[in-house]
This record gives sequence, C-alpha cells and structure tokens, in this order.
Amino acid sequence: MQEQGEVAKMDQVERLMERPLLYNNVDGVGELGLGFMFLGSALLQWLPIHATWWHRYGSFVGFLLLITALHYGVKAIKTHITFPRTGYVAYQKRGFFWRGAIAGGVAGMVCGLSFALSARSHWGIGRSPWSMTTPAALFGLVIAAGYAWRIAREVHWKWAVAAAMAICSVAIAMLPEGVINSLTANRSDFGALVAASMGALPLTFMLYGAILVLSGGISFVLYLRHTQPVTETAE
Amino acid sequence: MNLKTRKLAELDRVIHEPGRLMIVALLSAVEQCDFLYLQHETEMNKGTLSSHLSKLEEAGYVEVTKTYRGKIPLTLLRLTVEGRQAFQQYRKKMKEAL
Repeated sequence: MQEQGEVAKMDQVERLMERPLLYNNVDGVGELGLGFMFLGSALLQWLPIHATWWHRYGSFVGFLLLITALHYGVKAIKTHITFPRTGYVAYQKRGFFWRGAIAGGVAGMVCGLSFALSARSHWGIGRSPWSMTTPAALFGLVIAAGYAWRIAREVHWKWAVAAAMAICSVAIAMLPEGVINSLTANRSDFGALVAASMGALPLTFMLYGAILVLSGGISFVLYLRHTQPVTETAE
Repeated sequence: MNLKTRKLAELDRVIHEPGRLMIVALLSAVEQCDFLYLQHETEMNKGTLSSHLSKLEEAGYVEVTKTYRGKIPLTLLRLTVEGRQAFQQYRKKMKEAL
C-alpha cells in the first residue's frame, strides 16, 4: 500500500518537473510568437516570387527584423503582463540547448526527407501529383505531432488545434499540382525541388500561423480574464 | 527490515515531505523563479510556502534572494548545488526502493 503511494508520488514529481516548461505558454504567448513567426516566414517566402520590387536581400533583412520584433515583443509581454500575474521563471540554458538540439535534429531529418522526396520528383523518379506537396505536408504533420505532444496533452481544448493542423497538412498534400504551380506564379525557373518549398511550404506556414495566432490569442484572453496582477507581496 | 524498507528509511527527510518535494521538483527544472510562481504552481498559501522555504534554506538546499521589481518586493529562489545533488540522490533512492 505504502509502495503504491510512493510510486504515485514519484509520478507526480516527474510531472511537476515538466510544469515550468509548460508555463512558458501559460499565457498563449509562446503560440502567438510561433504563429507570427510562421505568418512572417510565409510572407517573406511569398514576396520574392510575387513582388517584382522586392530586393533579393529583403528576405534576409526581413527575417532578422521579424526575429528581433518577436524576441522583444514576447519579452515585453512576459515582463509587463505574465510575471506580475503568475510569477517569474528563468530557465536553465543547458535544458534549452538540448531541446534546441533535438528540435534541430528532427527539423533536419524532415528537411532531408522532404528534399529527397522532391529530388525524386525532380529527376522523374516516382513522380506523382502529390510529390510537390508531400514535403510541406510532412513538415506540417511533424509540427502538429509536436504540438499535440507538448501542448494539447496538458490543455485539452488544444486537441482541436492539433487536429486542425493535421487536417490542413492532409488538405495541402491533396492539392492539385496546378494550384501549387500558381502559388509559384508559374515561374519556369523553379524546378520541382524548389517549387515544393516555394509553393506548398508558404501555404503551410500561412495556415499554421493563422491557427496558432488564433489559438494563442484565445489563450491570452483567457489568461488575462482569469488572472490579476499582484500589486503587493509579503513573503 | 528488507532492502526496500531500508532504502525508504534512508531517504532525505527534508525533501521527502510532500510540500517540500513539490517545491524542490519545481526548482530543479528551472534556473530560478520567484515566490509568486511557486505559490501559483503549488497552490500553497504564503505562510505554508514560506515555512517550507525556510526549512529548505536552513538545510542549504535553496538560496533566497530578496530584491524589488520596481516598488514591489520580489523574492527569487534557486536550488543550490547541494540542493540539486540531494534531489538527484533522493530520486535515485526512491527509484531503487520502488
């Protein structure tokens, strides 16, 4: 009996150790940041194809501006809204390094697989109507799975968000080749390898960005409604 | 006394208390946090949380820094090296015992 109690206690301890990481998105700002990142990236991929006035270094500068704005924006919200309401947390840098390394590894594997699939199409091996959209759909499904594992597990209504992401990925995978070609403005200088990333990927980014901004926005409003800033403490 | 019972008897009593175990588990996952965060996560009242933190500070497991955020008092908490080692030992012994 005592042993069962101790096992349950240790399970609780292991779950508690994950709480600080989940706290990073307690206000929905994590999702908002990622959502705006996706939307900004989609725009920065779309502009070089469709805007004739766009300078070739514009994407690079735009990306730097986007990262800077998001970094300081998130920091400002955390400092002025989240920390006075539910507390301040500083994370261990070592933990961030390993999580970054794992995320980078997964992203690298997905990119590698995506390019392999695109290359097959480029060289005329196993060409199918889906070959151009598969990499973007695969990328989307990995993001949806990561989201489900990290966020939806804890906040149950977020399963709907993960499901919406997965449905979007499948829908993108089923898009006809003509639609993807029109997204790349039917430019003949794009091979299948590039078209896959130039066409379907911004579409994935745009849809995922919109979903995450909406989900993060709802979380943020709920957070503001259910918490109040602490004005004075006697600790 | 069997081996499992002996292992349980050897556990660090400062950490084994449920309230303090919650605090140490949370602190082990962060670099540092403030009093408000611990209160929010553990759902303890200020008095209980302060009492547990005092015991952990006395044992040398938690470092408490009192400062200000603007005009509002801010209590920052972090696990010391000894605290991290003690918590690792505690988890190891618990896993062996269960």
